[in-house]
Amino acid sequence: MERQIRLLLLDDEPIVGKRLVPALAKIGVETESFTDPEAALQQVARKDFDIVVTDLRMDKMDGVEVLRRVLQKSPRTKVIIITGYATLEIARQALAIGAFDFIAKPFKPNDLRNIVAKAARALGYKIKDKLADSSSAHGDSEMEFSDPPDVPGR
Amino acid sequence: MPVVTLSSDSHPLSREIAGRAATALGYDCVDREILKSVAERHDVPETDLHKALEESPSPFGISSKNHARYLAYIEEAVLAVLLKDNIVCHGLAAHLYVRGISHVLKIRILADPQKLAGEISSGKTPSFEKASALLKSRERFRRRWSLDAYRVDETAPSVYDMVISLARIDPDEAVKSIVETTRYRKFKPMTYSLKCLKDKALAGKVRVALIDRFPDVRVQADGSSVVVQTKALEREKQKRSEAIRKLAGEIPEVAAVEVQILPDIFRKAAESFR
Repeated sequence: MERQIRLLLLDDEPIVGKRLVPALAKIGVETESFTDPEAALQQVARKDFDIVVTDLRMDKMDGVEVLRRVLQKSPRTKVIIITGYATLEIARQALAIGAFDFIAKPFKPNDLRNIVAKAARALGYKIKDKLADSSSAHGDSEMEFSDPPDVPGR
Repeated sequence: MPVVTLSSDSHPLSREIAGRAATALGYDCVDREILKSVAERHDVPETDLHKALEESPSPFGISSKNHARYLAYIEEAVLAVLLKDNIVCHGLAAHLYVRGISHVLKIRILADPQKLAGEISSGKTPSFEKASALLKSRERFRRRWSLDAYRVDETAPSVYDMVISLARIDPDEAVKSIVETTRYRKFKPMTYSLKCLKDKALAGKVRVALIDRFPDVRVQADGSSVVVQTKALEREKQKRSEAIRKLAGEIPEVAAVEVQILPDIFRKAAESFR
């Protein structure tokens, strides 16, 4: 049975989800997009996600709090922080708490796909990268994700 | 793995600690040895590059223009090396221009004041008063040098992630502390910090390409786009913009160049008095 990477995307700007969900679908990632942090965390409580991508600055809750709560519920989940307000201090804080990676907006969909691929590898998924240079600016690289050898909690 | 920049009020001391930390971490150590290749590449005397790191511009020494040029050459070379990761860098003022990068751990080593005073007085042991005056004068000089060159006060502890005083901590313990600190998650390279370093390296490269013709040039990079700032008179604007676009555009990593010309008020005022 083929298992897809499950990713939760949280950004209070709806345009981010609209652009990134199809971009991530191209590499076979099943993405659920949220604009409300509370609703996103409720979903995290109900379902296991391999990867959570969260914005840092949101009105109701900041990304660092989301990161804390996600890791509390599921320590194996890889949390990627995206922000338009990146600073050295915030980046270090996020990493110290346990973020997998940190990327500043604006970024190309392919930049995020590369980080997602890295997170997937760290989770034990075998990735066949069809592009010689996955960082190319074409933005429609294709990667395949296959089953991880052992995924706890599934 | 993180990059470690090490600075000290004593160059021999920073060399010793940097070398030992690099060995303990299994990293490469980058120091003033690099100046030889920088000198060859830009066809300038190696001794002048050393002087640029030690002295301020003066009418009897290095001119302001050459001082800025030499430091730009050094900065470009060091940034290119730091991109390789797993590096301990010392003696090249990297702590002053590699700022805002989360995976760069900046360490300041403070020598034992008595030993440092002896080092400055060529091995003699000066009196307490003389030693104190010597150290103060040297600190004032380094503060002025770093502010002039990089607008950063290198003697301020806030510049660093960690300050170690060897009057209180043994060198062995200092090396151990550095090695342990590099293991903190917060100093791990991440996509954001690697991009910041890459942007700085590209900006340094573009600046070097321009600095001979435009000594006041300032460059910022974001991915493959660069923004170049320089001063010029109204009538020079177009020609200068074109020249900058051409020179910067010759660098393979540069895809777009924006030139911002600021009014050169001093030259304008000088011309109006003619």
